[in-house]
Amino acid sequence: MRDVAVIGVGMIPFGRRDQDTLMDMLAYASMKALDDAGLGDKGVDALYVGNMGAGILQHQSSIASALVDRLSLLPAAAEAIENGPASGGSAVKNGVLAVASGYYDVVLVAGGEKMREVTGWRATDFVATMTHPEVEYPYGITLPGMAGMFTRLYMEKYGLTREMLVEVAIKNQKMGALNPYAHVEMMITKEGIYESPHSVVNNPPAADPLHLYDACPVSDGAAALVLCPLEMAAKLTKNVPVLVAGFGQATDTHTLQERDDPTDLKAVTLAAQQAFERAKLKPEDIHVAELHDAFTVLEIAESEHVGFFKKGEGGKAVLAGKTRLGGKLPINVSGGLKARGHPVGATGVAQVVDIVWQLRHELPEDRQVKNAQNGLTVNFGGFGNNVVCFILRRVEQ
Amino acid sequence: MAVDMELESVLRPPEFPQAPYPPKVITLANGKRMVVREVTRADVPQLLKSVHPTLFIDRDYYNVVGARVYAELIAWQYYRVQNEYVLVGQVDGLVAGIVNGRLYSPKVGMSLHTLAIDRGLRIGAHLFAAKMEHHIEYLNQDEVLIVAESPIGFRRWMIEYGLEPTTIPHELGGAPSYKLTRELYFKSKSRLVVGDRPVPQDLMDVAQQDLTVATEKAIREKIAGLKGR
Amino acid sequence: MINITAYKCKKCGRIHYPRHERCLSCKHREFEEIKPEGNAKLLTFTQIFNLPWGFDERFLIIGVAQFENGVKAMGQIKAEDAADLHTGMPLTASWEPVRYVQGEPVYGLKFAPM
Repeated sequence: MRDVAVIGVGMIPFGRRDQDTLMDMLAYASMKALDDAGLGDKGVDALYVGNMGAGILQHQSSIASALVDRLSLLPAAAEAIENGPASGGSAVKNGVLAVASGYYDVVLVAGGEKMREVTGWRATDFVATMTHPEVEYPYGITLPGMAGMFTRLYMEKYGLTREMLVEVAIKNQKMGALNPYAHVEMMITKEGIYESPHSVVNNPPAADPLHLYDACPVSDGAAALVLCPLEMAAKLTKNVPVLVAGFGQATDTHTLQERDDPTDLKAVTLAAQQAFERAKLKPEDIHVAELHDAFTVLEIAESEHVGFFKKGEGGKAVLAGKTRLGGKLPINVSGGLKARGHPVGATGVAQVVDIVWQLRHELPEDRQVKNAQNGLTVNFGGFGNNVVCFILRRVEQ
Repeated sequence: MAVDMELESVLRPPEFPQAPYPPKVITLANGKRMVVREVTRADVPQLLKSVHPTLFIDRDYYNVVGARVYAELIAWQYYRVQNEYVLVGQVDGLVAGIVNGRLYSPKVGMSLHTLAIDRGLRIGAHLFAAKMEHHIEYLNQDEVLIVAESPIGFRRWMIEYGLEPTTIPHELGGAPSYKLTRELYFKSKSRLVVGDRPVPQDLMDVAQQDLTVATEKAIREKIAGLKGR
Repeated sequence: MINITAYKCKKCGRIHYPRHERCLSCKHREFEEIKPEGNAKLLTFTQIFNLPWGFDERFLIIGVAQFENGVKAMGQIKAEDAADLHTGMPLTASWEPVRYVQGEPVYGLKFAPM
């Protein structure tokens, strides 16, 4: 197996992009990544595209074939990867495997989703199609609903409080306001969403006990990156190469009801363990993390399941400021899904792109984790039934 | 323009007595304070500036709502609508949203429009609630007839308030009206209607003295949210 | 009649709902088909206000409950407010329309506090 490096990254601002088609977004992000790597007119050997909903939302299939053509990367191998909200992470993983195996040298990975094409309740229905079609979906369950049921149990078992969730939302929207790629650019205050009696309208329940500001927005967006063997990086690019030091992926039961302990996100734990083993690193070696906070509760639960904090301590760490920029372990400095947005197929790629920027030390001071060397991402599919975790490391030249 | 009052007395619809809306202040999600108050006909020229950019935005039916609000404001300014009222939400003086309605009869209200100019802060939800509060609690009406011109409006008003469907054609285009009754209003009031009274004098002074509007470009970017590559 | 079939592993006794080809615990391939029995205990629940396309209600309360014979299933809960519910509370179960597709009812589990 060869060491694999990320040599180019690109993203377009997430949000509502009525003027762009899904293919436009994927193409813009891809060109940015190719240009960032400095590949010029060179081709790539293969292209992997993470996307969940083109078939449902755009009535379009074979989007990888369309993208490779649009980018004039013919005759590169191309395929789309659908793995729910972990499609982006899965696409990156397949790209890494292809390069690591020695079969391909230069691989482009893109992830994108156009969700604002439909109304909010059509989008909610689209996302709910990942639930079990016979024993969950017909009841009207939604992903926020799954998260609500999980949150109730987490609160009862670990003493998680609404105040902890509110702090995650405030922290991530504050960072999002600084991020030019973020969907949500608005800061919120504890008074406005929690303490004031007026917060009943500002921040109503969405899926009890979760509220409106506990959930990520529905977004359009795309991100892309270029992979190559580490040994070739210096020849291909002037960028500081970022090594894919390890990844892990694990699955769990399709339905929440069949988990022995529904508060135990086994797939997160296992995916992270695999990634740490491969990278020969420990949770305490990580300097910056992008966790899948589709709901505020998930940032806290994932921070515990990957091993940053003991169970029940993640929420306290948020309140103590440990996960803020400048804290012991900054989490979701990009604003996370909560503020950057969650175009489902783009998210897993965008998380890696954000960590690459951190490890290349290219971000402005108000968003850069000083001297970050190692970063981690968690891309959480289904309700934790398919999780992809990456550990990335800066390679000093 | 010169007004021929003799002719005006024929052209202007007769009006019922109409109670004022007492201003209130709402703390928004971003911690800023929005003053909600009734404006006068003299404020119309300034308000039109904040509505104008919406005429050209087809997202979420802003053009449909914006064009109608624009016309309703002018018609109100020149006394061509019976018993109309206009409420605005202002943050630091800046217009964040406009709602209007009118009295169809002393006991029946006709909700006209809800136009949120700033987005993402539930301005529309707060202002629609203020409008219902005005009809039921201050204008002392028994019911309000409502239609939605956008899917967001339908979801927000018809479902959140549990409005009753009727076969009464609404004066905005004739679609069957939905009805808010006193009973429905008070059932939902605690979760939908908020605000503090009286408004502190300093906030009220800013709202009254600085009825300001954002630039056309800022409003269009805020609503259309257009993002570059 | 609650029209649910659950699958009890003939080797280790683990109860599955929905069906799997092999036992999630021991990989055994033979199951006894069983029906939910008795009342149910509420394991977790949520009140959802942003419903997907296909529902016109203001909210739905949905939960997961465990029947007396161990079958666990999701269902809609008949209640006015999530604040009236708590985990561990006993529920009765019924088989009723849970949504309508093109005007036709789709049947499923409904729970009600006892």
